[in-house]
Parts: sequence; structure tokens; C-alpha cells
Amino acid sequence: MRYVRAEDRLPNGGASPGGRVDPSPMLGTWFATDKQSAGVVKMELSERDGAFVLRAFGAGSPDPIDWGEVPAIAYAKSVDSGEGMAVSAVFDFGFEESLLAAYSKGGILVLDTFNTFKDGSGRSAYFSREFFHR
Amino acid sequence: MIARLSDRPSGNATPIDPATLLGDWINYDTSSRNIAALTITRRGDAVILRITGAPDVDWGETTLDPFSLTTAGGEAAAFRAAYDFDFARIAILAYLNKRLLVVDAYTTFHDDSGRSNYFARDHFWAR
Repeated sequence: MRYVRAEDRLPNGGASPGGRVDPSPMLGTWFATDKQSAGVVKMELSERDGAFVLRAFGAGSPDPIDWGEVPAIAYAKSVDSGEGMAVSAVFDFGFEESLLAAYSKGGILVLDTFNTFKDGSGRSAYFSREFFHR
Repeated sequence: MIARLSDRPSGNATPIDPATLLGDWINYDTSSRNIAALTITRRGDAVILRITGAPDVDWGETTLDPFSLTTAGGEAAAFRAAYDFDFARIAILAYLNKRLLVVDAYTTFHDDSGRSNYFARDHFWAR
């Protein structure tokens, strides 16, 4: 079994959990704690036909902008846990790519976004950090 | 075009200056089983990341992409990078909180070991 840090190793040669991370603890609709947010305002994490998916909505005027649904990856807190506590997904809008990465902590979902423009508009790639509650 | 209000242009954008990211970054948690240290350097127009996995595994170099806090650019506040090993892919997503570098590692395994994809976070100080 290959590894590049101690954390990659199964503890005490223990059995592997099988490789599936259950996203159930993260499923639901998450709302930005900042009602004036100019970033992501809502996320829906769900399972569809056995696949973990993320639907996001960006702040818009007058209404939020529906980004649609993309495949998501669930992460556990360790190699021997099957319980999902973090998620990542990529939205490609054509003019921009947004990587969303979030982890749950104490009932809050902490979201980082890494946004890169591809349209030659000259806008800078930018990062945001936002908080969500169910 | 925008996907959210924060995508709107904010004046004349300036290039992202990665200077805030450069240097040797050491994990505050000396018992971490994740990342022990990072080195970030500039090479021409590229910004290069080198990671040492705990306790002492050299991951080699990869390029990183710096990010500012707004579409106006300026000082780098975050970065993303990735390591593609044959058995796993590790996305490195990091941001600066004052002079604390917060580094998240999102690992997906591509071998048949049955290990779970996992998330790990550590905090680093600049030597």
C-alpha cells in the first residue's frame, strides 16, 4: 500500500472501510449565514441514483442564480472512516471555473471557493470563504 | 457574465502578487500525520510548491495557482495546487489568515486499497 504521509496508512494494519464515503451527514439544503453575501447563497447536497451531487446558487439581483447540479466527491476525516464530513465539486460556466470545497464542523458547513476566469475579461482569479447552516 | 455578484469587475485588475505566499512554512503541530512543511518559491512567472509529508516524505514540486480576494487582483490571499500520484490525487487548497497559512488536503485514492477519500487540515507559520 503506497503512501506519502503517515495519515495515508491504515492504523495498526486495520481493515479498510471499503473505499466508500457516505455523504449522508452532509445531505440537505444549506443557506449562507451572511444574508448579504455576494457569493454562494445556497447549496443543495443530495444523492441521485446513488450519486452524490451538489447544486449551488450564486447571489444575484433580483433573484439567486441557479448554477445547476454537478457531481460531488465526499471525504471522510480519515482513511478508515466511512462517514462524510467534507465535499468538493467543480462548476464550469464556460467563462469561469469555480472549485467549491467545504467541510462540516459543529453543524456549520465552511465553504472555500477558488474562482478562475477564462473569458479574457481581465478579472483576477479570486478566493472566498463562506459559512452555511441547514 | 457573472455566476454571482462577487464576479463583477472591480475596476482595473492588477496581477496577483504571490509575495505573501513565498517562503518556508512549518506546521504548528509537530505531531501532525499530514503535511510537515511547505516551501513556496517563484521561478520566472511560475510559483512552485514543494511539500514534505509527515514525517519526512518529499512530494516533489508542482506549480500552484494564486488567488486574490476580489476580481481586482493584487495581493495573493490563497492558492490551489494538486499532486497526482499513481495511487492517489491530493488537492491542496490553502488560504492566508494574517500570517497563518491554513492548508486543506483533499485526498482521493485510485488504487484498490479500500481507503476512504479524506480531508485533512493543518496550520503553518512562516520560518
